[in-house]
Amino acid sequence: MTKKKSSLPAESVRALVFVAGEIPMVHSYAELCAGRGYAVVIDASLRGSFQSSAQETQFKFASSAPANTSVGIDLTNMDIGRKKMNVTALDRVLPPTAPILTSSVTVTASEQATWIKGKHRLVGIGAFPTLTDRPVVEVAPTVSTPRETLDVVARFFGSLGKEVELVQDRIGMVLPRILCQLVNESMFAVMEDIASPSDIDTAMKLGLRHPHGPIEWGDRIGLPQVHSLLRALEQDLGEDRYRAAPLLTQLALNQASTTNDMQRLPHPQPKESQ
Amino acid sequence: MKHIGIVGAGTMGAGIAQAAALAELEVTLYDINTTVLRQSTEKIRTELKQGIQKGKIPPEKLDPTLERIKPRTSISDLSSCDLILEAVIEDLRVKRDLFKRIEENAKSEALLASNTSSLSITAIASSLHRPGRFLGIHFFNPANIMKLVEVVRGRQTSDEVVGQGAAFAKKLGKTPVVVKDTPGFIVNRLARPFYGEALRLLGEHVATVEQIDRIVKTSGDFAMGPFELMDLIGIDINLAVTQSIYDQYFGEPRFRPHPLQQEMVDAGWLGRKSGRGFYNYSESKNQQASGTRKPT
Repeated sequence: MTKKKSSLPAESVRALVFVAGEIPMVHSYAELCAGRGYAVVIDASLRGSFQSSAQETQFKFASSAPANTSVGIDLTNMDIGRKKMNVTALDRVLPPTAPILTSSVTVTASEQATWIKGKHRLVGIGAFPTLTDRPVVEVAPTVSTPRETLDVVARFFGSLGKEVELVQDRIGMVLPRILCQLVNESMFAVMEDIASPSDIDTAMKLGLRHPHGPIEWGDRIGLPQVHSLLRALEQDLGEDRYRAAPLLTQLALNQASTTNDMQRLPHPQPKESQ
Repeated sequence: MKHIGIVGAGTMGAGIAQAAALAELEVTLYDINTTVLRQSTEKIRTELKQGIQKGKIPPEKLDPTLERIKPRTSISDLSSCDLILEAVIEDLRVKRDLFKRIEENAKSEALLASNTSSLSITAIASSLHRPGRFLGIHFFNPANIMKLVEVVRGRQTSDEVVGQGAAFAKKLGKTPVVVKDTPGFIVNRLARPFYGEALRLLGEHVATVEQIDRIVKTSGDFAMGPFELMDLIGIDINLAVTQSIYDQYFGEPRFRPHPLQQEMVDAGWLGRKSGRGFYNYSESKNQQASGTRKPT
């Protein structure tokens, strides 16, 4: 194992962060880093993805990370082929001391480390829509991650106002796994027509003081993200309990949301009540 | 609906009676045990006084509310009730036998309802002559405070009765949600992954009890972490509910209990009530309140 000391530049230098991956997480991290004084360069394939051009003009775009990049971030969960390209490209162009922070929600950091030469600088992070702006970030080191890299990562997240919670490198990490299983169960319940989606959300918020109902969580996170995570869990653990509800699969494949799009599906009724 | 009967004066029965009397309904509170009835009415008086002290209940409501609750030990006293709601132990045979007797004593147009959280409404109704007028009205503990009510439609419950059940909940200032008669209804079923995944994460050593609770609260904005909540509910109760739903779904793997739950129960570490669960509560109360519990 090659151990190279990773570092962020001295505070007087405006460190550069390169961000690639999926929307909305890239936007969230780009805005967070820019707000904390980092120079941010976003993967050029995401040009035009911001809602307004005013938001977009504060960032630079490049097809690959600049040579002076201090931290490379990949926030891809769904398109694993694309993720592999992003991570290997970061490893090729980043200075040897720059850490690669990569979402390890659907592919473990350990597996991603096998894609690259600079295993020592790859660290998994829990990047999932709605959680990227939270004050805690789940971080999963691999067996190749030296203490020095973790120190730099903790310092980087500290500079973003985030506390690091070190967890084992497993698919789904902690909160994304729990949330996706809540969403999945609610999709089974909706599919079985036991109650309306709005009643399900109301029940979970009033009965258990959950901050959002599971249907709301699903729509906020995005059903394709939930679906990707469940499939990765099912594959990794080989357990039927992670099988996605067919309704979730149906909506996710069509980039649909439960709240807005489900009412267009047919609603079978027994003959006598038609 | 003006007059309701509550069968069973335990914690849930007393809470529902209090909420109904505050909503200006006449309440017959029936129990065979006079001691339980006396304790129940005292509890309601204490709760109402606390509500007044907190400014949530106008003081002038105390006496009329208490006067509206009539403790009774004869089942025939339920004969004039428009709705009779049962809140006794979760035993199908007990409930079936009880509802046979209730139906014999109730007026024919009365709604009959069970507050069960785990038994099938359809199964309880099978002993009745008028199953169409039977439904589940599931309050959450403490019933006088919690806003949610699950209105459970059994296989034979009529649409009109479901509507009347929901209207009753609204009259009490509650928010009704309508659910088909399926194991765990909405809340008990959909809460399973919150505990089940947390237990699996712990079992796989992905993170510690404290880490999982902290991440769930800080990143997810949940009021309590899954382990804090299991300790509060009681690990034995949580296991029993999980086991019941798992069995009722004929072994659906999504609801399978985790060996850690059984291990905790076997150890007698049942949560707050036993002084030890996923956290250790055996230190002084001041330390517990300041959040310095030791994870087990």
